[in-house]
Formats: sequence, C-alpha cells, structure tokens
Amino acid sequence: MRLPDRVTGLFLVGLGAAAAYGGWQLPPVPGQPVGPNVFPLVIGTGLALCGLAIALGIGRSFEEEEHLIPVEGGQVKPPTGKLYGLRALLPPALLLFYVAIAERLGFILTATLIVYVTATALGARWKVALPLAVLAPIGIHLIFSKLLRVPLPPGVLPMPW
Amino acid sequence: MLNTLAQAFALITTWEVIVAMLAASVYGLVIGSLPGLSATMATALLVPVTFYLSPIAAIATIVAASTMAIFAGDIPGALLRIPGTPASAAYADEAYAMTRKGEAELALGAGVWFSAVGGIAGTLSLMILAPPLAEIALSFSTFEYFWLAFLGLMCATLVARSSPVKAIASMFIGLLVACIGIENPGGVPRFTFGMTNLFGGIEPIPALVGVFAVAQVMRAMLTPEPPPIPRRKFGSILAGQWKLTKKYNWQMTRGNIIGIIIGVLPGAGADMAAWVSYAMSKRFSKEPEKFGTGHVEGLVEAGASNNASIASGWVPSLLFGIPGDTIAAIAIGVLYMKGLNPGPTLFTEKASSMYAIYLMFIIANIIMIPLGIVMIRLASYVLRAPRSTVMPVIMLCCAVGSFAIGNNIFGVVIVATFGVIGYVMEENGYPVAAMVLGIVMGTMIEQSFVTSLIKSDGSVFPFFERPIAAILAAMAIGALIWPVLVWVWRRLRRGAPAAASAR
Repeated sequence: MRLPDRVTGLFLVGLGAAAAYGGWQLPPVPGQPVGPNVFPLVIGTGLALCGLAIALGIGRSFEEEEHLIPVEGGQVKPPTGKLYGLRALLPPALLLFYVAIAERLGFILTATLIVYVTATALGARWKVALPLAVLAPIGIHLIFSKLLRVPLPPGVLPMPW
Repeated sequence: MLNTLAQAFALITTWEVIVAMLAASVYGLVIGSLPGLSATMATALLVPVTFYLSPIAAIATIVAASTMAIFAGDIPGALLRIPGTPASAAYADEAYAMTRKGEAELALGAGVWFSAVGGIAGTLSLMILAPPLAEIALSFSTFEYFWLAFLGLMCATLVARSSPVKAIASMFIGLLVACIGIENPGGVPRFTFGMTNLFGGIEPIPALVGVFAVAQVMRAMLTPEPPPIPRRKFGSILAGQWKLTKKYNWQMTRGNIIGIIIGVLPGAGADMAAWVSYAMSKRFSKEPEKFGTGHVEGLVEAGASNNASIASGWVPSLLFGIPGDTIAAIAIGVLYMKGLNPGPTLFTEKASSMYAIYLMFIIANIIMIPLGIVMIRLASYVLRAPRSTVMPVIMLCCAVGSFAIGNNIFGVVIVATFGVIGYVMEENGYPVAAMVLGIVMGTMIEQSFVTSLIKSDGSVFPFFERPIAAILAAMAIGALIWPVLVWVWRRLRRGAPAAASAR
C-alpha cells in the first residue's frame, strides 16, 4: 500500500477542504464571535496546506529511510503477487465480521472462526491452528466474561459459567 | 507529607494492587519481548482490563506493564538481533554483537540493571519536577493552556523521524478526528454524518488499539516470520554489573538526564530517548571505534535513557493532560476514566494518589530486576512461540477489548477502521504517534482556543499579552517555522557550492 506522495498529498488536500467546508456550514452560536465552526475551518485549512506541500515534495529531504536490520541465515522472501498485498486487509475484515455476526452466532463460535483464519493466514498448520482456535476463545471468554464481567453474546453456544 | 506517604502506602498495599501489578509485570515482560509487539500495544490492550479495577490498581497495571515492556524489548534484540520494541532498536545490533562474542549475560544484565536505574531516576524526576511545576500551572489561564497544548503538538511533530510536513499533517488528521461528535462549543453534531454512534465522538483508546495493535497484525500478514531463537543456558546475569556501574557512571547519569528531558517533551518517547542517547554515547566515548563490535558502553547509556523517559513522560501528562508519549496518552485516558483528572490540582487534592503513583514506579523498577532475570532465563521458551499463535489471540483481544470499553459493538468498527488508517499512514511515512496525540489533545486545544477567543472578544492580541503566554507563544511559533528555516538553510548551503563551481 505504498502510494506516491503526490497521491496522499492530494487526498489530504481534498480531506482538508471537505473539513473546512463542513465546518463552515455549521451553525454559529448566537451572540458569540466563535462557535463550533472555527476549529474545523482552521484544521481543514492547515491540513489542505500540508497536503499541498506533500504533493509538491516539500520536506521530503527530511525523511529517513527505515533502519531494517537484515537477519542472518537466509530469510524466506515474501511472495510478491498482485493480490498478495490485500492479505493485509484480512484483520480489519475479520473484525467487521465479528461486528456483523457475533450477536447471532455467539462469541465462542465467532472467535473460533477468527482465530482459525488468522492463524492459518499467518502460516500455522491445522494441527496448531485448530487447538488454538478452540482454546483461545474459551480462555478469553473466561477472563473477560467471568472475571471482568464484560457481557459477551452467548449466541448458539453459551458457556456454562 | 509523612501522613500522605503513609496513606499512599496503604493505597498500594492491598491485595488487588499487588496482584494487578505482578500480573501486569509478567504480561509486560512477555509482550515486550515478543518481536513486533510494542510497549504501547501492550498498554493499549490492557486498558479494557483496567475498567474493572480500582483507580490505583488500574494505574499500577499501566505503570508495571509499560516499565517491563520497555526493558523486555532488549531481550530479543540481544538474542535475535530483532528488537522487541522500537525503543530497543537503537542498540539491538550492539547487543547482538555482544551475544555473538559470548557476552549475552553481560548485555542482558546491563539491559535489566541499567533499565531499573534509569526507571528510578525518571521517577525521581517526576517527584521533583512535578510539584513546583504544578504550582506555576495553577496560575495558567486558557491562553497559556492553548499555547502549551499547541507547543506539545509541535514538539510531537519536530521529534518525529519523518518529514515534518507529514508529521504535521498526521497531527491535523488527529485533531480532525477529535472534532467528531457533539462535544464542541455549540453542542451541535459535528461530522457525525447522521450516525448516532458518532455523537459521543471517537474515544482515543479504540483508536489507539487500532493503530498500534490491528495495524501490527496487518503488517504481520505481509512480512515473513522471524527465525526461532537458538536454545542456550545463561550464566549469572547480574555479575559484573556493579563494575560497569562504576566504570560508566557518567554515561549512565547522562543517559538518565537525556531520557528525562526527552520523556518530558510531548510526543517524544522511549524510542527517541534510546536513539539520541546511543548517538551521544558514541559521540562522546573515549573509544568510539569499539561501537558496533559488541561494546557495552552504548547499552548502558541508551538502556538507562529509554526507561528514564517512561516515568518522566508522566510529568506533562499529570500536570496538564498533555501526554509525554503514546504510553502516557493511554495513561491519561485511564486517569480520566478513574476520576483522577490530570491537572495541577491533582497534586493538592489527590496528593496520596500522586504518592502512590511514585511508589508504584519505584516498586515496578525494583521488581523488574528479579522478574527480568527470570524472563531472560525463560526467553528461549517464550520467544519460540510462533507469531501465528500470538497474533490471533491479539486479534481476539482487540475485538473483545474494544467492545468492553463502551459495551458498544461500534467500538470494534472504530478499531478496525483505525487499523486500516494506521497501517496506510505508517506505510506512507506518516507518523501515527502524531495523529494519536492530535486525537488525545484535540478537545483540550479546541476548548482553550475557543474559550480564549470568547474571552478576548475575537481578538488575538490577548494570546500574547500575559508574560508566560508570550513565552510559550514564541516557543510554539519557533517550533512551527523551524523546519522551514532548516530547509531554507540547507537549500542555501547546497546552492552555494554549486554556484561557486559554476563560476
């Protein structure tokens, strides 16, 4: 997801302008010189100016290259396909899956699915991923629901405690 | 004062606090030592747990976990050349070189010993600096608070190791996030797009969990797994540390002082302290040629420095609600939640709680030595835990924890969203810490800004009229135009030889 500075800069110009416009539209407080509109106006303008500077390449000379420490003993190179980068979206997608389904399916089953998919995606074999997917949700449920009294959705498979 | 100290002692000698502190210490040591999991992430994931604890126990867990995690980052740094936390990255090479020379015990021992010394020095600075500053802060009006918050945000962008323009942009994004909700001068829904869930605004904690934990899991999806650690038996860990303390007495002191100063600066945390101190150590060493070959001197100074910055980062947090670093930003959230609202009056009205915080820092740094030694001995087992088993559990904690913060499933949506935002920003060189500070400080800076403007009837002159406000304003504006001056100066200097050669 590395984008050229021009793209991120112009995105920020758009975001800043939208924020400033949105702020400007807010109703002022009668009898007061400043209301809820001032702060978004200032920030939006600032953000748009920064975005413009980034798009024009100002300040790039300050950027330090990341210090990547090479690991000895030959490392596996990550496969670089076109869709490989999309794997990064798996964690947030799983969280949204949790939001959508947890209430109906219950915490334990949803969490089992999330753990299994994440572990497998990170390269765990099913011999490791399966026990982990069974045990981790039970452990987390024990800590949060039993000890900390967070109400977790029981769904179709409620825990005995 | 003795009376307050006794009260503070009574506050921390309850079973709840002792158990919470020990458990958080072990947790901090484990998370800190696992590569890719930072001290900030350890603390952020801890927040949902603190909801259900008493105020003192909640703060005890934050103090213990952050202190331990910063030290524990040294362990995989020395054994694998992979720093466990960014704060150990500055000297991971050096420590690994020592391990290869067969001096793993000395390197790890220096890590635990000088971290503890640094942590205690940082705590002393918190004890000494905070009360007199609180006295000054009591006379502050909204004008001073505005400039102080502004200065804090500028510091955060100055010290970021990326383009200052990008850092300022990150900060603006954070401030924009803080605009969301109905908590504004007009009490109108702002940037909520008609979503009731957004009326309350975006809480800093789910945002933090998103940018520091979810984004890290996202990164792990694309990067290869680090190699497993070779098994080894360790000799005595603390042998020779007293000799090092005497030999590098001055380096240790300098590391402590640098750590304290950097900790107090808003936005600059333990990693900055470690980098600066390691560079200082090399620059002023009598044997700079030994650096990089497994020389302990830099470890002493930087190890002391990063832990010193942890405690001193609490100084601006407790006094003004301006976080010294991202860990302190989380601590502020917990303090508010627990009714210990940061501010100078905390030192007069809740003095025993203040002393309790000091005592907890000192205890955490003392128990770090035995616990740290046990952790070093167990390291070869803990570090063998493959990432594919740790990360799924982190994911689950993100989901449950962000739900627990408000008993609201929408919290999980925020965590997921900020995971993506944090990941994209980091990938493109936008420092996420600056955005986090913007989110944490947004409400405060807007309130002081708008209240000041209302008081001055829309005029900007009163912002510069009070003496302290004027000084703070000069510093803040200086920080704002500093990158421009450096840029112009570099341009001129690069331009001059070119012009000379053209002639």
